[in-house]
Amino acid sequence: MQYMLLIHEDESAYMGENGAAVMEATLAGHMKLAEEWHAAGVAFSGNRLKGADTATTIRYENGGEGTLHDGPFAESHEELGGYYIVEAADLDEAVRWARKIPIPGKGSVEVRPVWQD
Amino acid sequence: MLADQPEPDPVGDVVPFPEPIPDDRLRLLFTCCHPALAREARIALALRVICGVSVARIARAFLVAEPAMYQRLTRAKAKIKAANIPFETPPSREWQFRVGTVLETLETALAIAYRNAAGTGETGGLAPEVERLAVLLAELMPQEAEAHGLLALVCLVRSREAARVDREGTMVPLSGQDVAQWDIARIEAGRTALDRATAIGKPGPLQVQAAIHLVHCLRRETGQTDWAAILRLYDVLTLMRPTPVVAVNRALALARATSAEEGLAALDAIETGRLTQFLPFHAVRADLLASLGKVGEARAEYDAALALDPEPAEARLLAARRDALGS
Repeated sequence: MQYMLLIHEDESAYMGENGAAVMEATLAGHMKLAEEWHAAGVAFSGNRLKGADTATTIRYENGGEGTLHDGPFAESHEELGGYYIVEAADLDEAVRWARKIPIPGKGSVEVRPVWQD
Repeated sequence: MLADQPEPDPVGDVVPFPEPIPDDRLRLLFTCCHPALAREARIALALRVICGVSVARIARAFLVAEPAMYQRLTRAKAKIKAANIPFETPPSREWQFRVGTVLETLETALAIAYRNAAGTGETGGLAPEVERLAVLLAELMPQEAEAHGLLALVCLVRSREAARVDREGTMVPLSGQDVAQWDIARIEAGRTALDRATAIGKPGPLQVQAAIHLVHCLRRETGQTDWAAILRLYDVLTLMRPTPVVAVNRALALARATSAEEGLAALDAIETGRLTQFLPFHAVRADLLASLGKVGEARAEYDAALALDPEPAEARLLAARRDALGS
């Protein structure tokens, strides 16, 4: 079964004095996770996204054409920063992988089963 | 041959090793309390699966309508399927994430059992089962202060079982119980468990509730109830758990420690909401109104309490008090 791991993190963790070091450590964590998946033969894919300030949202009130807005869909201090799609036997296994995603400071990882017929 | 010996647990964090929970029901309880399910759904599922409590009673315990509780259970079951939540005994490293809900489930089960003063009928076997599971849980997780707190609570609550109904099967309120009928062995077991919990140094709502019951039990030795101490304990409980249900119990303690007027004022200051479905809210309000001579209002509150389908022994008590109101 496939699960999507949606990574929400506080982008400000990468700013300021230690920002570069935090970024480096986080990326190293992601590399390590990818290596673990390779070593375990687990199928996965994923991407890192550009900052939330590059986001554009089409908002719909009642279907129709929708209107373009600057920014992510929800104003919060935790922005969607990337995602993985990973093969796991069940939710517990998916959560075990999700827990290995490095989150500097505040954030969350949402684990969602991918629709499969 | 040495080379054939298994490696010493290099994958202990991924492979669930069998760490047996020494009881089928306790195992199921931990299984139901999967943290990926909503809290109330977990507890409801656990109560349903383990203790066979009807959905109607579970709904009443959570102060929600029966269809709403059905919906929560249905949603939980659908998520188990859609998200492929494994329904199996969790490995011991997961217990810490589940024990809180396991304790809440048993506390809720005990509350449901406590409503049934006579201890007969559908929920009659619930209190002994909660005690049995509390004993096992305290043995399984000896460092968990609240597990000992639950054990203390169930022992102290059950110590008064024999005194809770009279010969006619009418519930006897705590203040009217014959202390000679209280079970000394259970009171002592409760005290020991509470001491054990306190020694761990992690206070929690179950320990505070056990302490409240222990103060009640002390009437056996002192001949009176220290309502001021009980009120202070309710103040502590309110900080840990600022719910309307706790507020109702605190209002009763306040009434006993000070006056019926003050108790009633505190009761009326609570945000009612779901409380209209909470039987003790009406029963306590009725008693306080009656003691203040407000007969008409008291009668209406007894009727409201009786409409919430109390267990037979409590229904008899409420009806008797209503009928004794006069006019």
